[in-house]
Amino acid sequence: MATLRDIKRRIKGVKNTQQITKAMKMVAAARLRRAQENILNARPYSKKIAEVLQHLLSSEKNFNNPFFTEREIKKVAVVVVTSDRGLCGSFNMSVIRTVEEIAKGALSLFNNEGNLFLYCVGKKGNDYFTKRNYNVVGSYPGIFSHLKFEFASGLMKELMNKYQNGEIDKVFVVYNEFKSVIQQKTETEQILPIQSFEEKEESSRLTDYIYEPDKGKIISALLPKHLKAQMWRILLDSYAAELGARMTAMDMATENAKELIRSLQLTYNKERQASITKEILEIVSGANALKET
Amino acid sequence: MKEIFVEIITPSKSVFKGKVISITVPGALGNFQVLFNHAPILSSLEIGRIKIEDEKGEKIEFATGGGTVEVIDNKVLVLADSAEAADEIDLERAKNSYKRAKERLASRGKGDIDMIRAELSLQRAMNRMKIVRD
Repeated sequence: MATLRDIKRRIKGVKNTQQITKAMKMVAAARLRRAQENILNARPYSKKIAEVLQHLLSSEKNFNNPFFTEREIKKVAVVVVTSDRGLCGSFNMSVIRTVEEIAKGALSLFNNEGNLFLYCVGKKGNDYFTKRNYNVVGSYPGIFSHLKFEFASGLMKELMNKYQNGEIDKVFVVYNEFKSVIQQKTETEQILPIQSFEEKEESSRLTDYIYEPDKGKIISALLPKHLKAQMWRILLDSYAAELGARMTAMDMATENAKELIRSLQLTYNKERQASITKEILEIVSGANALKET
Repeated sequence: MKEIFVEIITPSKSVFKGKVISITVPGALGNFQVLFNHAPILSSLEIGRIKIEDEKGEKIEFATGGGTVEVIDNKVLVLADSAEAADEIDLERAKNSYKRAKERLASRGKGDIDMIRAELSLQRAMNRMKIVRD
């Protein structure tokens, strides 16, 4: 049976854990606010680029760019976006599971022949896939603590280079989309070749622009920028989603600790009561025994 | 007052937003100035400086690492790869990258992709340093 001291020690331990989870929740909340700000800051750029591109492409129907054309697929790359740290619920597992699913399902043909390349952003996914039998060609652990646009653009540049050299024929990204603070959604997105732009109603803006130097050059200059902005958006989204997931997970942990402390306190009080009763009983019976003699 | 609305945005944030009298940008075919009622234009930008004259006649300068500019209906949208106001430029960093780029250019033969990158980085660094000096 647990003695009073044991129970007390456990309560203290749980309280310590609770303090940590509480602090982690606060930290995640503060960082989340900043991450959300970053998303908002990045949005106008990618939105405008997409708009301008869409406008250009709608007036240039027969434009031919390798980034758009589907070709015979021999090699596929998947960018796996996970977090660097744990303690964020099912955040990483859901990405990893999705990747494994497509690696063993839709892309098993490529996987079996070693033509499925993984680019692992974030430590957790990297740890998981390098330990198993996967062809991990790019590892980028520890980038989320100081996330910079340069990283997104560098990664995208490498993918674009390989795509253009025919080393990869298709690129997917698997990541967690930031829906709201309490909701994340694991998404699989194809980023290369570019699938058609979302049509918007206002696309029929018929303006005669002066083009400098010319339309084609502007399109080919904008396309990589668009792709980089997209990668940047994905990373920001994933980071915000991670923090959101951690916040919820830590909130739940704090709640659970609270519940545990409550029940432990109850047993502690009962135990204490019992020991006092026992003591009184002993004293009374002792006194009685003295009286009788 | 005949004003145009200017917005300069980079991938990480919006750098400038407001009404101005004129803006000069480093276009692909040379610098050009945009005033009220400019014809619609879509141009790519080179490494260089963006000059703005705001409503009060004050001049603001930015260093840019290239991008695209769209002018339509007296609205100017600069989609810059990077843009820093003159007083925000980190001179120390620019000097360092200048040195690094110089070393790289000196150390290897011409033609490969790294050379082009080093060249561009050198230009950017020089651009930044120049704008701080002025």
